[in-house]
Amino acid sequence: MKKQISLYESGNELAAVAAKQINYHVMGYYPITPSTQIAENLDLMKAQGLHDISLIAAEGEHSAAGICYGASTGGGRVFNATSANGLLYALEQLPVQSGTRFPMVMNVACRTVSGPLSIKGDHSDIMMMLNCGWIILFANSVQMVYDYNLIGLKLAETVNLPVAVAFDGFFTSHQKRRCMIFEKDQDVQDYIGPVKKRTDILDTEHPVTIGSYMNEPDLINNKYQLHEAMEQVFNEIEPLFEEFKELSGRPQHLVETYRAEEAKVVIFALGSTYHTLKEAVDQLRKEEIEVGAVTLTMIRPFPKAQLIEKIAHAETLIVLDRQDSYGAQGGNMSLEIRAALQEAKLDCEVYTRIYGLGGKDFYYEEAVKLVKDCLGQDLPRFDYLQISEGQPVSNPEYFKPLTAEDTELGLTQCRLNDQGQLQVQGGQIAATTAMPKRLAPGHGACPGCGIPVNVNLLLRGIEGVVVLLFQTGCGMVVTTSYPKTSFKVPYLHNLFQNGAATVAGLAEMFHQRQKRGELPEGDITFIMISGDGGMDIGLGSAIGAALRNDAFILMEYDNGGYMNTGYQLSYSTPMGARSSTSHIGKTQYGKTFVNKDTPQIMAAAGAQYVATVAESQPADFLKKAAKAQYYAKNKGFVYLKALSACPLNWADVPSQERKVIQAAVDCGYFPLYEIEEGITLINYNPEKNGKQIPAIDWLKMMGRTRHLGKPEYAEVVGHIQKEIDKRWTRLKARAESDVL
Amino acid sequence: MTIQTTLPRINELGYYEMRLESIGGLGANLCGKLLGELGAVQLGLNAASFSSYGSEKRGSPVKAFIRYSAPTQEIRINSPVRHPDCLALFHEAMAGKLPVNAGVQRHCRVVINTALDGAAIRDRMQLSARDIYCVDALTLALQSKSRVNMVMLGAIARATGFIPLEVAKQAVIATLGSKAPELLGANLEGVQRGYDEVQLYHFDDERYPEIPFDSESEGWGWKTAPIGGVNPISGSSVRNDLSASREGYLPLFEPEKCIHCGLCDSTCPDMVFQFFPGELKGRKTMLNRGLDYRFCKGCLRCVDICPTHALTRGVEKEHPHPDYFTPVRDLLTPDLQQTHVGANSWVTSESPNEEILKKGGNV
Repeated sequence: MKKQISLYESGNELAAVAAKQINYHVMGYYPITPSTQIAENLDLMKAQGLHDISLIAAEGEHSAAGICYGASTGGGRVFNATSANGLLYALEQLPVQSGTRFPMVMNVACRTVSGPLSIKGDHSDIMMMLNCGWIILFANSVQMVYDYNLIGLKLAETVNLPVAVAFDGFFTSHQKRRCMIFEKDQDVQDYIGPVKKRTDILDTEHPVTIGSYMNEPDLINNKYQLHEAMEQVFNEIEPLFEEFKELSGRPQHLVETYRAEEAKVVIFALGSTYHTLKEAVDQLRKEEIEVGAVTLTMIRPFPKAQLIEKIAHAETLIVLDRQDSYGAQGGNMSLEIRAALQEAKLDCEVYTRIYGLGGKDFYYEEAVKLVKDCLGQDLPRFDYLQISEGQPVSNPEYFKPLTAEDTELGLTQCRLNDQGQLQVQGGQIAATTAMPKRLAPGHGACPGCGIPVNVNLLLRGIEGVVVLLFQTGCGMVVTTSYPKTSFKVPYLHNLFQNGAATVAGLAEMFHQRQKRGELPEGDITFIMISGDGGMDIGLGSAIGAALRNDAFILMEYDNGGYMNTGYQLSYSTPMGARSSTSHIGKTQYGKTFVNKDTPQIMAAAGAQYVATVAESQPADFLKKAAKAQYYAKNKGFVYLKALSACPLNWADVPSQERKVIQAAVDCGYFPLYEIEEGITLINYNPEKNGKQIPAIDWLKMMGRTRHLGKPEYAEVVGHIQKEIDKRWTRLKARAESDVL
Repeated sequence: MTIQTTLPRINELGYYEMRLESIGGLGANLCGKLLGELGAVQLGLNAASFSSYGSEKRGSPVKAFIRYSAPTQEIRINSPVRHPDCLALFHEAMAGKLPVNAGVQRHCRVVINTALDGAAIRDRMQLSARDIYCVDALTLALQSKSRVNMVMLGAIARATGFIPLEVAKQAVIATLGSKAPELLGANLEGVQRGYDEVQLYHFDDERYPEIPFDSESEGWGWKTAPIGGVNPISGSSVRNDLSASREGYLPLFEPEKCIHCGLCDSTCPDMVFQFFPGELKGRKTMLNRGLDYRFCKGCLRCVDICPTHALTRGVEKEHPHPDYFTPVRDLLTPDLQQTHVGANSWVTSESPNEEILKKGGNV
């Protein structure tokens, strides 16, 4: 046995500790709840100089999986962590990883997949992975997350297959428990051993081709090899378990049971619910009901022989599935267990119950009741637990739908003047308070949040009928928390990398139906709202819309990070800023690269109108809103970017946010300008009006960047200032030119 | 330092359970973590702790759960605490607005951050519990230059009867000692003051009934909800009363000073200001008729921006019913049935916020 110490931590923290002890070469990742803390913790440890893992925050999970794949072909050790839609977005990369036989470890903190969007735990994500050729271990406790992260890597490298270590999002990823870890990292590294010789593209003396094109004589043989590797797992894993037990004292089992020997009734659940079932079993045993519980800790390959051995005697089997294979009358575990029973020619009554979707809590009393019900009555073999019929809700009409007449008030108008130039009339702050708000109050944004301020300022300058789309982000979460919505106008949400394409499709449907006489004449202004995170993962989709010149307005609210999930860095986070994936420590100073210059990217992609807007210049904002509408109606694609305050994560005073935004404008971090059909105009010049301030004056206003005021960060601040100066100089040069 | 602790009472499964109710920003999450950790590490118990999950919002309701058992007993459930043996309320304004005392039974020891005495707070909250522990954590935190969660930790330790003061302090040293050493002295002072100054009030009259714990959502279900999660009731968030999100302050309006410039409306994230067509000095214009305080979260952006000081910062306690309440302009239902909510949702992770806020922002 190796020396161990106890920790009081969560599953995510233990996954990070295991990765740190292994000291992987590379982690490619993208933050997604509830797995995000794994990368956050690794970043924190990196800042403290505790490991050498290169942590690469990708711009989306597809790229994260690509980073992992590329790194794994290079002969080293690779790590990833994801959940839910992140897993699905990465999905096409996963069979490539397994089919070309490169081992790696990916943690999956299981969570329900959209839509409707929910961030809580269930197993609908991991079951999508069953056919990807990955080994899938399922840890049902915090301790097991640690153990399986170690055993999993060794297994992966033994059979040359990638391994997913799955566990329940929140229940296991976030609950803290006492667990044991090896005291010395060296003991972990000795257990795993050096990387075995395998295909290595960086061994340039032995050049290999990875990823051949393969036709029908051959592909099936490649897949048979994959099948064989899966079968090999059963031979390899028991010795690995044995070896691990000798080191840790903890035995591992592919099938775990509790009081199931001789039990007439056996109840199955995956993950943390298994422990709840034990509690139910003890209660039922007190009433002399012979019941036991069973779970699997590996679902690929599926250990059917081992499972059958444990449950062969049962007369009744109740399978709880935390996901549904819709239309198949069972979740995937039910379907596979039923198939295994049939193959073993066992005559056992199987009841399947779908439960706990979207993180719905499952209490032990519910399991007790379920067992009694299944024994006492002739119940359907398949059903959902925990559903409610609901009340017929009589909701009054809170607001009259906003018509064109209600909102075409002529308060802000953009027209071509006699010289053929665009001119905006009106747009006064006082007068435009008459514009009906398209959003109702009662949303759940934080006190002082900039998002509703920016959305309202935009819509105040837009006359007529609007249809809105929000990509995933704070803005949508706080406004559409079911069963309530803050929108008084038509609103659509779609996944965060796909909003621009979605609006494009919708706007086109409007034009097609109008053309065919199915919709009355009249205009609709289509407006998409995205955060800066959405403009990372969704940049491709946005550029596509700009290249096609789709007629809608895309406004980005840039608060410089993934604020909804605890402030991970985005590519728009200021350089040097502290975030939960760019900690400050002896080896790190915050985010290491400069903020993305999205307006220039969108202008280069051919957006007809590009403008930056700030709430500190509300009149300028309204003017640009009107222009945006003109361009969307007459010319095509429009991109607006607002710097948007986040008191929570900027760590500043909510009441002062407009001043912080003003300082960002004055220091040149967020210059106010517009680009009309490629021609640049600076709208506010702090240099000329004597308002220009150094960047550090702005950075010191926020808790996330206040540390940059210390002398040891002078070089970082110098770099930030240089970048600001460079962009400003180039912007001025463009503004002075007739053709730029 | 590990001591052997005997739990004073356990439920039918063998657990001693605690629930902390707060709003984001007061540090209940950290307090829950400390209680879990001190149970597992110093009290020699088995322990589990977690917070309510969701997206991360300032001013939103937060729950933290702690479960202890004897060291020989595995903690096998991970569901929220329904019937706490100890309930701690970090934010008095939530009391009476949100169902924070659901599932509280007679035996539960309730610790409340309040300046009121036990009888007054019991009546206000209609508490069923017999033992109510009052501590003015806000004042004590200010005096000790500490935070509400530290004072509450001390008060909770005292109320449970089995967490020694030294153990609570040790937990603070272990967790915060290296992260924020410069604040350690103040934080320990906060724990001490909470422990020393919490007051117990005991009531035997069972004046108020126990409130059942009900996690079922009211309203739409599978038979009645529109398919696809589509929501046809536009603008229905107007049914939310957000006033529980305020942290003690709100804007006060003096119309005689108002020049109706509209800047407040341009900076308000919560659509609180109500402008109506009217006349000013013979000119038709939009006039500021007041605020719909039900939606005001107290960010005070409007106070900061108002050029004529027509809007000023007021202490909420002194103005429970501020003047110039004006309901939302275009609302069709004047007798709105509202529910109290915080800024929606919960806390997901221990992001660096806590730390940043301590060092940089306002708490």
